[in-house]
Amino acid sequence: MAVPPGKTGGMSAVLVIEDDDRIRLSLVLALEDEGYAASGAPTAEEGLAAQRRQPADTVLVDLMLPGVDGFECIRQLRRSDDVPIVVISARDDTHDIVAALEAGADDYLVKPLAVKELTARLRALRRRARVALADEPPVLRFGDLEISPEAGEVRLHGEAVAVTRTEFQLLCELGEHPGRVLSRQQLLQRVWGYDGGDERLVDVHVGRLRQKIEDGSGAPKHLVTVRGLGYKLQR
Amino acid sequence: MKKAGLRVRVIAGFAAGALALSATLALVSFQVIRQSLLSERERTAVRAAYYDAAIVWSGLGSQEVGSLLRTLDTGDSRRAVLYRDGEWYSRQADTGVTDAIPVALQREAGDGIPSVQRVRAEGRAALVVAVPLSPTAVFYEVDSLQELDHTLGVLTAVLTAVAVSVAALGALLGWYASRYVLRPLTRVADAAQEIAGGAGKYRLDPAAEPDLARLTTSFNHMVDELQARLERDRRFAADVSHELRSPLQTLANAASVLERRRDQLDARTATAAGLITDEIARFQHLVNDLLELSRGDRPATRAPVDLPELARRVCRDHRISPDIVTLSGPATWCVDRGRVGQLMGNLLENAQAYGGGAVAVRLALTASTGRIEVDDEGPGVSPDDKPVIFDRFVRGRSANARADSAGTGLGLALVAQHAAAHGGTASVHDRPGGGARFRVELPECAP
Repeated sequence: MAVPPGKTGGMSAVLVIEDDDRIRLSLVLALEDEGYAASGAPTAEEGLAAQRRQPADTVLVDLMLPGVDGFECIRQLRRSDDVPIVVISARDDTHDIVAALEAGADDYLVKPLAVKELTARLRALRRRARVALADEPPVLRFGDLEISPEAGEVRLHGEAVAVTRTEFQLLCELGEHPGRVLSRQQLLQRVWGYDGGDERLVDVHVGRLRQKIEDGSGAPKHLVTVRGLGYKLQR
Repeated sequence: MKKAGLRVRVIAGFAAGALALSATLALVSFQVIRQSLLSERERTAVRAAYYDAAIVWSGLGSQEVGSLLRTLDTGDSRRAVLYRDGEWYSRQADTGVTDAIPVALQREAGDGIPSVQRVRAEGRAALVVAVPLSPTAVFYEVDSLQELDHTLGVLTAVLTAVAVSVAALGALLGWYASRYVLRPLTRVADAAQEIAGGAGKYRLDPAAEPDLARLTTSFNHMVDELQARLERDRRFAADVSHELRSPLQTLANAASVLERRRDQLDARTATAAGLITDEIARFQHLVNDLLELSRGDRPATRAPVDLPELARRVCRDHRISPDIVTLSGPATWCVDRGRVGQLMGNLLENAQAYGGGAVAVRLALTASTGRIEVDDEGPGVSPDDKPVIFDRFVRGRSANARADSAGTGLGLALVAQHAAAHGGTASVHDRPGGGARFRVELPECAP
């Protein structure tokens, strides 16, 4: 690609891991047109190598890839990186979507998608990354759970917990309103920038967060489901 | 006339068969018994009459006839009469009994032929025995058959009762047999109902009824075939749409590049590029709608939804003032958010394309049934279109309909499908004051 991956000036770098040459090429063209520094990789292996070499700000992943598939690719990316991952797939059954989100994806879009739609998603991901860094409230404490919005850190029993940016943003939104119930739609709006979206996004991310901040025995202590209403964070 | 059910027919058949059989048997036995009783009675009567006649004959001439007749021991049932030289003599004063003796019998007896005949005397069955004593004297004995009549009456009653009971028993047997025989069929019917209701996994056990193994096996086979065909159709639509997605994605991306550079193109190329971009957008819409339709039989996943909020958002998405949304009843409905949002969006698009835009979106939740109405002030829907408007690829035929080029012809079909997924219905009505009113009713929406 003409523009190398990684942060190039003020441009946001996007890595497209997609095996269909035409889609990849046209997506890179369209994203470059929209002002992104886009690069492509035809396989998960090449994509992972490119991301190691020069990390992009956002990674787009197709689920059906030759060799290492999209789900595994997301898991491997997640292992070393909190980079926002957006799934772009022609598969849209619940099972695939939930599996991709559980593997660590932040959002998903179903083909065929309009480029405007994609750039709106990318902007929302960027925005919340900035919001999380710009906010400067003190440390939020929920018993043994500590959230430092400024430092972008989460600690459980004093030990740092690795969360992705989306998970962190979700935690901050809930943490800024202690004990108050936020509906899935409110969370979708505040964390993902969706005005009316798929509530499974929230549910799967809450599930992922619980694995990290709850002790895993019995009912969730901090991140509580309020039936029919939404979620809240408590001591 | 409605044909009686198989069960009723089986029961009626059994009852009729039992009745015919028992009635025939009763009739035959009645006749046999009656015949034998009668001939027995006749023999007795004849013997008694000859005995009495012998006494009368031996006493004739020596005694006065009346006292001679009185010496006879006739009991209650027999009455002796003597006809002699054109005169009737009897024991009792009344001679009414002579009227019961048929003239033909008298003539025969007058000719010297003894005979026996059954008659009715004073309204009762009786037996007349004529014994000619001499060319001028005939001894008659009228024997009452009342006792025999009574016996036969009792017999008739008993046999009738037996016949009726047997018929009733036959009906009972028929009922039981039909129930027993129909039970496997009832199971088949239940299974068919289950499958029609969406339980595609339901199968019959062929071992449960070996005699009906062929039926159950064919039934299961039919269900399998049906299921496979449905699945094939569904998958075909899904596969086709699916396969269209990748090239469409490339087209969409490329169109976006063209669109961005539109001002750098000459007028003709720009127009062509614009057409391509618009049609790709429509194509995307069509493919998405087709995929949505092919997934149709999935049930709605209900959760509490703030419906006015959703309706206002959908309105904003369609660049319609959210102020047209009105609500009566509770705001929180238990529905499938995605489906209801799409349903409302499609109704708004439909109003935009054919009715000059929606003028009211009414939400009402009463007695757990949610009702969504979208009104427009367009030309309304012609009566011809009303029954088919929710079918696929049906577009309004109204002359002045401004067909939206982005329409897919699937929007209202999806509305109906989303309503059906909630167990509800979609319908179109005339709006008072002109225009169309699309109504969706969703049951069990109370949270």
